[in-house]
Amino acid sequence: MSRFFGISPELQLEKDASSRYLPVVIATMVFLASLALIGLFSINSAIGNWSAAVSGNLTVEIAHDSSIDLSAKMEKAVSVLRSIPGLENVRALSLDETAELLAPYLGRTDVIKQLPLPRLIEVTISENSAVDLLAAAKKLASEVPGAVLNTHRPWLDKMILLARSVQTIAAIIMMLISIVTVIIIVFAARTGMVMHQEIIEVLHLIGAKDSYIAKQFQNYFARLSLFGALPGLAIAILVMQVLAWLADRLEAGLISAPSMMFEGWIALAMIPVLVVILTTITVRLIVLGSLKRMM
Amino acid sequence: MVIFENVGMRYGMGPEVLRDINMHLASGSFHFLTGPTGAGKSSLLKLLALSHRPSRGLLTLFGQEVSRLERSDLPSFRRKIGVVFQDFRLLDHLSALENVALPLRIAEADEELIEKNVTELLNWVGLGHQMQARPPTLSGGEKQRVAIARAVINRPQLLIADEPTGSMDPEMGLRLMHLFQELNKLGTTVVIATHDIGLIQKFQYPVMYLRSNTLHFATAQEYLSQYKRSGV
Repeated sequence: MSRFFGISPELQLEKDASSRYLPVVIATMVFLASLALIGLFSINSAIGNWSAAVSGNLTVEIAHDSSIDLSAKMEKAVSVLRSIPGLENVRALSLDETAELLAPYLGRTDVIKQLPLPRLIEVTISENSAVDLLAAAKKLASEVPGAVLNTHRPWLDKMILLARSVQTIAAIIMMLISIVTVIIIVFAARTGMVMHQEIIEVLHLIGAKDSYIAKQFQNYFARLSLFGALPGLAIAILVMQVLAWLADRLEAGLISAPSMMFEGWIALAMIPVLVVILTTITVRLIVLGSLKRMM
Repeated sequence: MVIFENVGMRYGMGPEVLRDINMHLASGSFHFLTGPTGAGKSSLLKLLALSHRPSRGLLTLFGQEVSRLERSDLPSFRRKIGVVFQDFRLLDHLSALENVALPLRIAEADEELIEKNVTELLNWVGLGHQMQARPPTLSGGEKQRVAIARAVINRPQLLIADEPTGSMDPEMGLRLMHLFQELNKLGTTVVIATHDIGLIQKFQYPVMYLRSNTLHFATAQEYLSQYKRSGV
């Protein structure tokens, strides 16, 4: 470990002006990669939440018709639903409750109640039960004309498709960031080789192995990467906390605060480690390749 | 020890700077290498130091043909060769002691042994009081002595020196030539590139001289009489 953090004794890479700003570049790259990763895992977590919230629930909608008694139709629909095995809880929403659901979008509930509102029945499916929803929907439609069983599945499928697309974009962004980081490191390592060519030649002629020279480069650049990656990650986590706080204040059902499962935190913590490993391997390959071209 | 057979050398696609070099340096021999500027002296030294490969011909060092050497074999071969560069090539951020210790440290020698040998050698070359000094604070002659100490610290089998006494007073120059002679007596093959006719005259070792990119041999007496006649 002390060798890893030790200075490069002969090459004195620490005094190079060319690589001094590398930690800033690495910090920026790690910050962007961390945000992309946070986004990736947060979306995954949100999809799980939406799925859990929606998959156990059904809604029955009875369209407004001023010519009939909607309450009687509601009661009939409730009794039909209760007769279907596997449906645990069947509850008709009052007009007040329906108006309250629409209040965030339409405004005052007393005004909403004047509108021709459909009536809603909330249905919960028993856990571990296999309900034939198609048969249930047919039975309901035949016994209570105008009643529609809504499973939320088409809506959820569209949301999941959107979320997966965003996840793919995040993964592509991470890949691009990795490629750009490697290119920057390659450029910095090559510049270092050119700047220290004379000393490298002397080291060779007094019997230094290629690996001896490469080790000084790879340790130095790995150290720079670590010094850049840690603040980059810290800032990304800070930004995530600020976003979580802002999303909480928004109190919107769909837009949830970025939250990650345990695996997400592990992946985030691995970013600096991966950057250091990527840097070490890249620099080693570049230096050994360049040294091979010398005798 | 060192065998050149029809060796030629060129840089990139340029003209040949060395042509048809044939030579055989026996183990434990001592030679001067001389010739006018641009005749190919530095290029020949680069081949001997394993800094460059020949463009053609066969170069055999320590019983091994160089072109057949694996890259991983080169460091151990180079550790058998001590090189004194004309421009010293010391590492300015290291002290004189650290510069001289470098070949031993690279070879992962014992630190106690490094300290003992380096101190002894620096005292011998008259730099005992300058061990912690860095090259930029040393005079030309002192730098050259540090460079020589670095080249010989490993007890090389082949010692190559490019104008090793050029920057020092005659007394120190002679002292260092005696060091080379001592190493030579212990079996080290020595090649000294020089323009100093006085040195050739005093030590009378065989002379290799380069003319028009080709190598020629002469005894010291032959060379000196040629030099007097035509100023080779």
